[in-house]
Amino acid sequence: MTYPGASSDIDPVDRLTILAAALPGAAVAQRRIAAPFDAVWRVIADLENATPRYEPGVAHVRVIEQRGELLRLLVQDTTGREHAMDARLRPGWCLMQSATVVIGFAARRLGSQTLLAHLEHERLQAPMPRRSQPHDRGAALAKIDQELRTIERLAVQDRH
Amino acid sequence: MDPDKVAAAQQGDALALDQLLDELAPYVRRLCARIAPAAADDATQEALLAVFRGLPSLRAPEAIMTWVRSVTVRTAIRLARQHDPEVAAEDTLMGHHASSPEGLVDIDDAVARLPVSQRVVLVLRTREGLSEQEIATTLGIPVGTVKSRLNRARAAFREAWGS
Repeated sequence: MTYPGASSDIDPVDRLTILAAALPGAAVAQRRIAAPFDAVWRVIADLENATPRYEPGVAHVRVIEQRGELLRLLVQDTTGREHAMDARLRPGWCLMQSATVVIGFAARRLGSQTLLAHLEHERLQAPMPRRSQPHDRGAALAKIDQELRTIERLAVQDRH
Repeated sequence: MDPDKVAAAQQGDALALDQLLDELAPYVRRLCARIAPAAADDATQEALLAVFRGLPSLRAPEAIMTWVRSVTVRTAIRLARQHDPEVAAEDTLMGHHASSPEGLVDIDDAVARLPVSQRVVLVLRTREGLSEQEIATTLGIPVGTVKSRLNRARAAFREAWGS
């Protein structure tokens, strides 16, 4: 399913900034990744294999349904609990949402490098794995920064 | 615009917000391009940021387009004045045109050369099809002021177009 009026005019990183404005408390950080856009996006788009490698609270991800850009995921956290997530995925844009969390990625080509932005937002204060629920902004940003560094490592490895 | 979708977006449904952005962005971009052509990208980004920042506190989801229009127009006016200060003042198109011997290229160019306050009312009336009352509400000014600005804008436009 595609949405009528879908606009690719807005740069994905700018788009993520706009989205974050409507999600009070959302943590967003960016990193200039020393790898080309395609290599970075291969990591992000490989939800089943790559997500558990950079997200410490996630053990397994399974795509159970896909209709165009829209996906339905089943995510098992490191405590063994399963969470259903809806996602929208296309080159440069990945937005995932469960009943309790929102995860976003946006990428912009910077020549042979990539600007990657990452958003995390808690929708509700429901019980979640402790490591996935940082209680202050500093901790949330540090977690995001660590994940961006790991994604960079994966993207650079992917090139070799 | 589906009020249920707007309400879901207001409650932090990120995929509803994403869809809302798809639907609002072309309209916001069009308004910004017409009102602030020299700063259309910046105005679009700032207007959408203002809209999404204010969305959770919007009390009437069914009136979202009126509210988005108002936020966008005010943002575009501010950016237009920053990027086009010499035209932003109450100078005239004729005066500006006299100092621009390269002349006018087309209608959009002629509109873009109007002072911002006149350009806005002309765009909203002739390109967006708003009534004078709707323009007054959008800009927060009396209808009489809208009428007088429209008259000045039309006169300036005719003068420039015919010269």
